[in-house]
Amino acid sequence: MGLVFLKRLKGLVLPLVLLMVWEIASRQGRAYALTFIPIEKIGRSLIETILSGELLTNLLASLGTASTGLLIGGTVGLGLGSLMGLYPRVDKIIGPVFHSFRQVPLLGWIPLIGLWFGNGCLAKTLVVCLASFYPMVLNSYAGIRNVENNHLEVGRVLGASRWQTYRYILIPGALPFIFIGIYHALAFSWISTVGSELLFTAGPGLGGMMQTAQMAAKMDIVIICVASIGVVGLLMNVSLAKLSGHLLRWRSTR
Amino acid sequence: MNAISTAKKLPIPADALGLLAVPLAMLALWVLVTRAQWVPEQLLVSPTKVIEAVGELWEAGELQGHLQNSLRRLFLGFFSGAIFGLIFGVLMGLFKSMEDYCAPLFNAFRQIPSIAFIPMLILIFGIDETFKIIIVAKAAFFPVALGGYDSVRGIPKNYFEVAKVYQCPLWPLIKQVVIPATVPQILTGLRLSLSRSWMVLVAAELMAADSGIGQMMEWGRQMFRMDIVVVGVFITGLIGFALDYGFKWLESRMARWKMG
Amino acid sequence: MGNLIHPDFKRSAKSLSGELSIQSLHKQYRLERNYLNVLENINLTILPGEFVSIVGPSGCGKSTILRLVVGLDSDFQGRILLDGKPITSTSTDRGIVFQDHRLFPWMTVWENIAFALVNSDLPSAEKRDIVSLNIKRVNLTGFANAYPHQLSGGMAQRAAIARALVNEPKILLLDEPLGALDALTRLYLQAELQRIWIQHRSTMIMVTHDVEEALFLGDRVVVMQANPGRIKRVVPVPLEHPRDRSSPLFHRLKDEILADLIDTDSTAEAKRAKSLALRSDLG
Repeated sequence: MGLVFLKRLKGLVLPLVLLMVWEIASRQGRAYALTFIPIEKIGRSLIETILSGELLTNLLASLGTASTGLLIGGTVGLGLGSLMGLYPRVDKIIGPVFHSFRQVPLLGWIPLIGLWFGNGCLAKTLVVCLASFYPMVLNSYAGIRNVENNHLEVGRVLGASRWQTYRYILIPGALPFIFIGIYHALAFSWISTVGSELLFTAGPGLGGMMQTAQMAAKMDIVIICVASIGVVGLLMNVSLAKLSGHLLRWRSTR
Repeated sequence: MNAISTAKKLPIPADALGLLAVPLAMLALWVLVTRAQWVPEQLLVSPTKVIEAVGELWEAGELQGHLQNSLRRLFLGFFSGAIFGLIFGVLMGLFKSMEDYCAPLFNAFRQIPSIAFIPMLILIFGIDETFKIIIVAKAAFFPVALGGYDSVRGIPKNYFEVAKVYQCPLWPLIKQVVIPATVPQILTGLRLSLSRSWMVLVAAELMAADSGIGQMMEWGRQMFRMDIVVVGVFITGLIGFALDYGFKWLESRMARWKMG
Repeated sequence: MGNLIHPDFKRSAKSLSGELSIQSLHKQYRLERNYLNVLENINLTILPGEFVSIVGPSGCGKSTILRLVVGLDSDFQGRILLDGKPITSTSTDRGIVFQDHRLFPWMTVWENIAFALVNSDLPSAEKRDIVSLNIKRVNLTGFANAYPHQLSGGMAQRAAIARALVNEPKILLLDEPLGALDALTRLYLQAELQRIWIQHRSTMIMVTHDVEEALFLGDRVVVMQANPGRIKRVVPVPLEHPRDRSSPLFHRLKDEILADLIDTDSTAEAKRAKSLALRSDLG
């Protein structure tokens, strides 16, 4: 117990030093005070943005975009990846196209999507869809391909029907990979939500809020947004890790 | 014998054709759709126009200039970020006390997407080169640091025991055991971080730049020059592919002792 | 229990060094809040040039003894002396072969074996000679430049034996060296080990699961039992090397030792069943 406590304490040293340096820098005159906002002022702005509902509105808008995109892109990705994994012919036809499209960095599509779909909600959601689509295709494909042949043989020997083979062997066998896919898709959907909101500034969202604050040189708001983005990302990771730990408890962990 | 050799020979051209068939069909469709004007020019630019745009940009020297600027930023940022990341990650993997002090802050920052730092960095450094190199370095730092840390922690205890049995001194231990055992994973971390750096750089250039492939695309979007935007998409994809492929090649060369 | 030295041991006069003496050795592991006795009062003296086999059920601490002797673990009570000097850390006068060959996958057979000389001051020409001599010794000539993944299990284990022999250790410890191999390779490598032992004339201690292997190679067989790990019996094997596996004495000793092991195993099994029953009563 004592040891764990000491370890936690050590972990706090660096952040505290950083905060102190920040605070000292903020008191070095007006030129510094613009970028190094005093901690106390950040705190006050935080309370203000919470009370006015500004933070919550934008946060919810971002979460909405992220989850819509994740749901649509992830489901389509899961379907396509599974089809590619199950049917070599589909893989042969779609694989090369998929892999060549995948080479373009996600946010590189933004100008094109902007030209086609404007810079509102639809364009943002499309970017997020694409972001969650790729990892789901890749991992569900790999998951199905990685189901061990000897497990499939057991199914064949026991006379499992096609449906039973899916239900009892292929899907559970692919599940660890699919979870890795969801993991990545979740992370990418959040990153791309922020990215698309920074670039498509119409409508509410943390990215848009941050961009507006940057234009107005309001460092405190920018910092609050960055921190909120980090906290949401962390919460997403932790809850998914808990969930996958529960669903994949049959796997031996070292 | 005969059957094997024919079986070995035949599928290769068939496979290559199969691989090319779909992209070629898509290209044909693209040409057809734009020729027949089923879709207005503003929504889908024709392939010929894209090729013309490449020629035009090349003649004017713009394309080369943008490419040069983007790649310079990418490599400056990537190398500085990766070197610091590697040193930091390996040290954190080797020394428990360093991990105790640094890991929480490291993990907290790791949660925040690099892109989210762009507005903050613009406020601190302005929109000059510094900001772009720093954001690329930041993007490169974390995956490399994580790869370095994981790979050092992941060296099987067995290897250290063998080294201890033969009383291996520190330097040979690092040179003959730690480095070879960690290289594959570190290279993977470097590859990941290179493609992330590229994405972040394109985003940063889209947001705030006076040159670079991203800026070229953003300009194309504002001027409704879809041909230039498509050129940009192609080039970013091509560069992304080349970087990834080059690193994979390097990985396979540096870890030749691995199976398969 | 006292010191257990086989009285008719005759080879001792030939080699002078490599005498291992283990005196009232105890070792505990801490498992959360409980202490688990891994080894309890181990007393064993092994003469220079002797081959001692250790058999016992899993969890009796037989591999732990080897880890203590080689110096990978120094957390114990009691004394372990090699030629009268206490063992404090690893040293090149003690070699070990692990069950998993533990060759570095990024080094060739040659480089792996040469790694054993990483701390020696010999000129490199001499090192080269020593390595190639030891490759020849384990019959791996022609495989010097192969990577471990290109070797069969038996070949990899032979490379590991060569690596352990390079420093001409006074005592060679073998931790189930043939445990992961198929039956035929095993028989072949047992003969190889014997040949190496006769040529090398160093003390050897081998931990194994296989009673026949223990009897085939060992001058004495130490039978251990678990919970806590202790020596149950030391069986001298008064048969000439190389041994005839079909001789009546060989068979009788094998049956005796197996009976010992099954006995301890079944008492342990009974204990476990009893404690389980108890727990279910309480629960």
